[in-house]
Amino acid sequence: MRQYFEKMTEFGVELNKGQMLSSEKNVADIKEVEAGIDQEVDKVKNAGMPTEKINARGVMTVWQRLEYLVDPGTWNPLHTLFNPEDNVEGTTNVIDGLAKISGKWCVVAGFDNKVMAGAWLPGQPENILRATDLSKRLNIPLVWLVNCSGVKLTEQEKFYANRRGSGTTFYRHAELEQMGIPVLAGIYGTNPAGGGYQGISPTILFAHKNCNIAVGGGGILSGMSPKGYFDLEGAEQLIKSAKEYKAKPPGSVEIHHDETGFFRYVYEEEKGVLDGLKDYMKDMPAYNPKFFRVAEPKDPRFPAEDLYRLLPHNQKQIYNFKEIVARLVDGSEHMEFRPDYGPEVYTGLVKMDGYLVGVIGNNQGWLGEDYPEYADYGGIGGKLYRQGLIKMNEFVSLCGRDRIPMIWFQDTSGIDVGDIAEKAELLGLGQSLIYSIQQTDVPMTLITLRKGTAAAHYVMGGPTANRHNAFTLGVGTTEIAVMHGETAAAASFSRRLVKEKDAGRPLEPIIDKMNTLAQEYHDNSQPAFCAKQGMVDEVVKMSDLRSYLKAFAGASYQNPKSICPQHHLITPRIIKG
Amino acid sequence: MSTEILAPMPGTIFQVHVKEGDDVIEGQELLVLEAMKMENPIVSTAAGKVKDVQVKVDDKVATQQLLLVIE
Repeated sequence: MRQYFEKMTEFGVELNKGQMLSSEKNVADIKEVEAGIDQEVDKVKNAGMPTEKINARGVMTVWQRLEYLVDPGTWNPLHTLFNPEDNVEGTTNVIDGLAKISGKWCVVAGFDNKVMAGAWLPGQPENILRATDLSKRLNIPLVWLVNCSGVKLTEQEKFYANRRGSGTTFYRHAELEQMGIPVLAGIYGTNPAGGGYQGISPTILFAHKNCNIAVGGGGILSGMSPKGYFDLEGAEQLIKSAKEYKAKPPGSVEIHHDETGFFRYVYEEEKGVLDGLKDYMKDMPAYNPKFFRVAEPKDPRFPAEDLYRLLPHNQKQIYNFKEIVARLVDGSEHMEFRPDYGPEVYTGLVKMDGYLVGVIGNNQGWLGEDYPEYADYGGIGGKLYRQGLIKMNEFVSLCGRDRIPMIWFQDTSGIDVGDIAEKAELLGLGQSLIYSIQQTDVPMTLITLRKGTAAAHYVMGGPTANRHNAFTLGVGTTEIAVMHGETAAAASFSRRLVKEKDAGRPLEPIIDKMNTLAQEYHDNSQPAFCAKQGMVDEVVKMSDLRSYLKAFAGASYQNPKSICPQHHLITPRIIKG
Repeated sequence: MSTEILAPMPGTIFQVHVKEGDDVIEGQELLVLEAMKMENPIVSTAAGKVKDVQVKVDDKVATQQLLLVIE
């Protein structure tokens, strides 16, 4: 099948001087957003105790452990700004991402030992479930850097219990193991209670000599004689007990290596633990990339910096979507699927680091007075019409059949509305697309280029497709909300305006409310907010997008659960005709 | 030789970035046409001098209507 893939059709054009000139402000606008995101990321990295203080204790920080552990240039962080409960610490205390260790893709997750010794915090269970889900979706190992002091006791009611509470992680680890996905854990520091189960639940445990894992810690043991109140005598007893247990915390390596054998290995040095993980990662199940690659990897023919000029920061401004794709895919080559049908949607096969992937995204701009064919009004890109929905259903189904991972791009204002659109079956076709996605069982990822709006955000492979969407990325231009803020304000208050007008009352108070709502919609749809709430899994610089997409493709093909032989692929043959 | 810049779609002129006598280069944004709530930058297809701006902000235009001329 090399005739199909070694040299596909080139697309995209080089930027001319006029475009360079006209896009200067756009570059500055997007980079300003990115600089703001950088500041937020720095806050997370610097949360808790200073690195020097941790190092002075002879201990590495989680960031230093990660740097030593992962292959250089392969760290693709996720959930850095995720903090849905607005913790004062500014973090969920879990650092995770996609990375290679010893040449193999894996999900890496670690507790930030600078912040409350790696305690469980509100929002953390959801963060961890995203990491375990990613490992499950991509069928790749999960590597933990455990260093967890257990529940932040003063906020336990927010995350300890419940269906998706902190303990769910341990079931997810068991689920991964049930599926044949290994969970490796390097264990540092004191890990009582929840921290103990974070330590014991993985598949193979690599322990630092000073670590411990236990059902309960010294603090819990010393507090086990409640008499209904605290007094001076009780306080003195607690001090005595705490000192005793601090001197000898339960579950040390003497117990869990020498006695129980839970720790497979014990290392004198912190880096030894990481070396142990690296050594094991060499043997994790993975195909050689040549097994699945359809061509040698090659860079796009145009620089990634062009993206800052091609994607307008102004949400209303149209652009050429294909020019975006041409900056991201190997050789700026593709095989476009049904270019003459459903013009509001791009569908095509591309190569990402030599691997075949499917791409779907919203074309932008005027579609002509004769489209959509079922209506007497013209069409505009970003909206979804009958043909586009049918085309996406077809392409998704073909990619599923051919076991081709998919990259979605969203910049959508929604699905066409009104009785004409209903007669054209758009409601049903949207749900059909959800059904088609669910049928594929192939990994997908999404880049929300600009608007993720209305039901279109659901049906176009969004994070709600959470059995398929491995992760969702935002960029400096991302904006996610059910609808535009002004539309929402009009929908919410138009009848009230009529009432007030009819009653002869002043309209200004209602207008103020409308403006407030519109502003809230704006503020709550911006990239940093989306990352904090988890609407996207990371906000990424335009110039870093390809790194994530290469990670996605490489991880998807590392050890897939099913295979389509290249010479049995039907999608490229349908495109060729 | 002159180049006519035509409206690619019906809409309303939202912004005009150039005036007669301005030098422009290929790809430079000349004006913005609003259609269906979206802003469509109209760019120069040639380098030259703006000769004849036939529209102003808020003008409604039809598809293929002449917007300006580059000489």
